[in-house]
Amino acid sequence: MNSTGREAPARSATADREIAISRGIDAPPELVFKAFTEVRHLSRWWGPEGFTTTTRAFEFRVGGVWDFVLHGPDGTDYSEWITWTEIVPPERIAMLHGEYRGDPNAFESVLTFAPDGETTRIEMLTVFPTKELRDEAIKKHGAIEAGRQTLGNLAAYVAEIVRKGVEG
Amino acid sequence: MARATTTSDVFNAIAEPQRRDILTLLRAGERPVTEVADELGMTQPGASKHLRVLREVGLVRDRKAGKQRLYDLDARGLRTVHEWTGGFEQFWNESFDRLDAYVQELKREGQQE
Repeated sequence: MNSTGREAPARSATADREIAISRGIDAPPELVFKAFTEVRHLSRWWGPEGFTTTTRAFEFRVGGVWDFVLHGPDGTDYSEWITWTEIVPPERIAMLHGEYRGDPNAFESVLTFAPDGETTRIEMLTVFPTKELRDEAIKKHGAIEAGRQTLGNLAAYVAEIVRKGVEG
Repeated sequence: MARATTTSDVFNAIAEPQRRDILTLLRAGERPVTEVADELGMTQPGASKHLRVLREVGLVRDRKAGKQRLYDLDARGLRTVHEWTGGFEQFWNESFDRLDAYVQELKREGQQE
């Protein structure tokens, strides 16, 4: 994280139902943005190592839908449905992400791509409809900062063990 | 955060490097305690103690085979750890790792055009 020396922004009204993720990518925003625009790009990186996607429908425009199945390395399939709510090349993409069209638990993520020298700073802000849904996502996925710091290496290690087919 | 005791907390159990070595060894298949001790250069009581901790937190299971007891990985316990750590943020952090690697390819293609 770059320290800008500014005061921390005031807590937003949705702070208790958000998850914010920030990440540097070693490429200019145009290329990072490009990787979102077509299935042939998206399918190469969407999801953790070992995950693959099967796309039923894809259209990259505001109101367009990406309807796909995410295949986990353990054989679990996850139905995914995304609609793009805002597209501003090459700096911003907003999407509504659920399991199917009309999913009441769908949540919105806004991705911004900011140039940072030769690299790009991705900020991803996900806002859940309710605090309960956010907490559920956190509990379900264990997206707990303290836990991640303690268990960062462990996560990679265990993922490797699980991937190597523990159930044989 | 209060620290749970090692014997009841799966994360503390795995925080110990020798116990991680045992899990890694057991990936290749079940083993009696003597082989675990030999292959990892532990004393047998030491290996026994570690295996007991791993069993108590559900990462290892054992079965009797004739006169000896064989130890094996317990996938259910591991999956719990995996789900707990492999969460929303982890999902995206790993995705962004792959995105970073992929845009390097796009960069190279762009230079060739």
